[in-house]
Amino acid sequence: MTSGIHKPTRQVTATVTDMRTAATTIVAVLAIAMLWAMLWAPLRANATPAAEPVDAATLIRGLAKPPPATIDFIEARFSSLLKQPLLVSGTLGYEGATALDRNVTQPYRETTRIRGGSVRIQREGEPERSFALKRAPELQSLLHAFTALLAGDLAAVERDFQTTVSGNLDAWQISLQPRDARLAKRVSRIRIDGRNDQPRCFAVLEDGKAATIMLLGLVTQFELPQPLTQEWLQRKCVSPWP
Amino acid sequence: MALKRTRTALLLLAGWVAVLASFSWYLQKDLVVGTDLRLFLPNPTTAEQRLLLDEIGEGPASRMLVLSLEGADAATLADTSRALAGALAGNPLFRLVTNGEISLDAVPDELLVYRYLLSPTLDHDSFDAAYLHRQLLARARDLSSPAGVILEPLLPSDPTLELLKVLQAWQPLQEPNRLYDVWFDTAGKRALLIAETVAPAFDPDRQRAALEALQQAFHTLDSSGRLRLTISGPGSFSVLMEQRTRAQAQTLGTAATLGMLVLMLVAYRTLGSIILSSLPLASAGLAGLLAVSLLFDAVHGITLAFGFTLIGVAQDYPLHLLSHHRPGQSPLQAVRQLWPTLMTGVASTCIAYATFLFSGVTGLAQLACFTVASLAAAGLTTRFLLPRLISDGGRDFGDSEFLGKLWQRIATLPRPRWAGPALVVVCLAVIVLAPGPMWENDLSNLTPVPRDLLMRDQEVRTQLGTPDLRYLLVVKAPDDETALARLQQLDPRLQELTGSGAITGYNHAARYLPTRDRQTARQQKLPDPATLRNALAQALVDTPFRADVFDPFLRDVERARHLAPLSLDTLRKSPLGAGVDMLLTRHGQEVTALVTLTGVDNVAALHQLADQATPKAVLLDLKAASESLVAEQRTRLLWSLSIAAVLLIGVITLALRRRQRVLRVLSPMALTTLILVAVLHGAGIPMTLFHLIALILAAGLGLDYALFFEHAADDPHDQRRTLHAVLVCAISTLMVFALLALSSLPVLRAIGVTVTLGVISNFVLALLLTRDTP
Repeated sequence: MTSGIHKPTRQVTATVTDMRTAATTIVAVLAIAMLWAMLWAPLRANATPAAEPVDAATLIRGLAKPPPATIDFIEARFSSLLKQPLLVSGTLGYEGATALDRNVTQPYRETTRIRGGSVRIQREGEPERSFALKRAPELQSLLHAFTALLAGDLAAVERDFQTTVSGNLDAWQISLQPRDARLAKRVSRIRIDGRNDQPRCFAVLEDGKAATIMLLGLVTQFELPQPLTQEWLQRKCVSPWP
Repeated sequence: MALKRTRTALLLLAGWVAVLASFSWYLQKDLVVGTDLRLFLPNPTTAEQRLLLDEIGEGPASRMLVLSLEGADAATLADTSRALAGALAGNPLFRLVTNGEISLDAVPDELLVYRYLLSPTLDHDSFDAAYLHRQLLARARDLSSPAGVILEPLLPSDPTLELLKVLQAWQPLQEPNRLYDVWFDTAGKRALLIAETVAPAFDPDRQRAALEALQQAFHTLDSSGRLRLTISGPGSFSVLMEQRTRAQAQTLGTAATLGMLVLMLVAYRTLGSIILSSLPLASAGLAGLLAVSLLFDAVHGITLAFGFTLIGVAQDYPLHLLSHHRPGQSPLQAVRQLWPTLMTGVASTCIAYATFLFSGVTGLAQLACFTVASLAAAGLTTRFLLPRLISDGGRDFGDSEFLGKLWQRIATLPRPRWAGPALVVVCLAVIVLAPGPMWENDLSNLTPVPRDLLMRDQEVRTQLGTPDLRYLLVVKAPDDETALARLQQLDPRLQELTGSGAITGYNHAARYLPTRDRQTARQQKLPDPATLRNALAQALVDTPFRADVFDPFLRDVERARHLAPLSLDTLRKSPLGAGVDMLLTRHGQEVTALVTLTGVDNVAALHQLADQATPKAVLLDLKAASESLVAEQRTRLLWSLSIAAVLLIGVITLALRRRQRVLRVLSPMALTTLILVAVLHGAGIPMTLFHLIALILAAGLGLDYALFFEHAADDPHDQRRTLHAVLVCAISTLMVFALLALSSLPVLRAIGVTVTLGVISNFVLALLLTRDTP
């Protein structure tokens, strides 16, 4: 083994350890925050009952963003293979109907460009990887939903998903269930939470424990609890944000 | 001239027709028509030539069809490309249809377990805690990337992604442009696919079936009809050319038949003469086919085409009888008078053709067999059967005033003694002095495929980075293992050449299948279960992965430790083995491994590499090999021709006995051959096999004309009859071959032009040279 091969490993280990210590130092703060959130959320929901239920068409029309648009994100990947979720953060760039960029900046750099039916992933220090979107139906469904929402196109959303909207403008939730039976086996539901014209959470819920939950926009200012759970994130999605 | 209406004559006619019918029924049933072009090439003498012939017939390049889809946006084309490849997967007509997409599902389960023996990872790394740790961290990143959804199901059994490494190593080194993960041209306008047929290129029937399957699959996919599919490659060309040749031959054949009917009616004025003159020709064709089918396994398509061209001479035999027959003399008497001349013609032509039997080229031997049997049958039926069907009486062409005047005028034409030698000198001067090559050596110039089709094919192949069609490295070995070992040895040097730009890529069997030794070496580096479990446990400590998810990995490594190395035969049976199958072939006791090259830029470097390999590899230059083969074929043909000429002179001398007569008969044909060669060369047309065949036919015709003119006695009536016969013969032949000369196909045109000129020259010279000046 040469030192050349060891180096990147140490760096990676260091980043991971840093993250862990950082995370543990805020556990106390978060624990209090969680308690507060658990108590406060239902209280608040009771205190200000929904003025009027949202209408799907109006809501989705309001979500339209003309390309190009960028938004910060934190993504947590839950999998049955993992004892703790994987966290990455960066920016999403929306360049058009079938053009999406995903730039990871933390804890490492990685760029994904989705153009048409093809996905290209470039991670620092590694050769580029690419695959056809068709081979990853989960990803494809996510992309469909995402770009249809960014286009404010309810009809496009409805074509692929059975759509239900709940909540009020202050805290709404869109739930998408794939119409394609094959896809439905792998993706049970896509859930988007938001407030006014801002989507805040984008969750792809797979079978069992697997899920990808993405917090969008201001959420990057959150401190995350350790261990991070899907439940915490889900609560975060529906709770009022600053 | 009409048909005889007696009982015996009608019985004979019925019997003859019945025999012909039963022959054709038998042939219809049993005749196998071959299309392997190699039959018309000489037996290979060098290793290069042998390989060339293998390549032409069975080689990967000859089976490769290049498909391009256009007419829509790239995304639609990519979808269609994927659907087309999917629709044709498993079709028994194709070994492989690919658009370049790597799919994890493509690997059959039985090969999956071999990934640790096939992947190069263990050559430079080992499955210790440090390596596994690095890999697991990388997998964690993969998992949170968009590729995660695809990789996740793989990870428990393959955390180091060996399967992907194997699939990547199997990809071509020079990658074509990709859009949406399938091959495209650089402009992104055409989606490209490669289809490898099971049938070799020179099997038009099975190639046609394959092309139809392709088209059908495409039309099912493209219901809108907006897209366009272009298929090119040797197979599609051979189908196209077969169709075109067949279509043209049919049109020209129909035109020639109609022309013949009109000519016969004008010349003999009875319908019976048409039937009578066609019977010997039909007997000739059937006898020829029968002889070839009895002596050879299959009749080559080219033998048939050339054979039916050459027996055009046989058409003349009954015409002579019909022209010489007159009232007051029974047909049998007429034929007896003609027979010495006719027999000399038939015998000398047959003996000349017989030399081809020993040319060492199977196709030419078939041709000889066909022609000798045909001409003999035509001669014999004209002598023994035909006269018994002709009624006595009818017209005497000897009474024709017009022919009489014509003969007089010809007889009084000036025949300056210096003209002959002068003509010879001029012809020789043209042959020696005219620039340009005498012979066509380049096989690719012989192809009847239109140039623009070839150019388009070449352009798409360059885009796809398909192997160079000219250069190949060849490694011989006594068995598969040694062959793989030698390829493995060559590999680093090939990588150097790729790095230095001498070539842009290469491919060989060892890229897919390492030697047993290398597989065993990798296998021995696989840790035992306890060691691996410990290493994995250490590696897992600070990763986000749960400890127990990699049990399938432990199980698979343990299985791989006890596998017998993957053999070529096992790989061949899998759908992934198609590529290997063509790169490594077994011929009896010897294994031939090919290294295909892409983008060859520095041939000298390749020569050097081949020479420095131990044992030496061969850099095969297919162009050079094909040229030497064509040259060799020609040498043999020319030798056969020289011997034929000597034999011909012998036979004629024996028959005519007097030197003066022999000279008169042979000089028109010799002069004509000289003139034809001079004209072709002077016009800048390099001669091919087809020209030579045409020259032989022209010589045969010339011999017959001269023999009959020379035979015509001093009796003016007999002279007129001879003139009538030879005129009808010459005009009919001229008509058929002038039609061929109009063809757009180089082969047909070469034969047509040469024979047309030959007939004219032979006819004129025979008239001038066989008679004394008055």
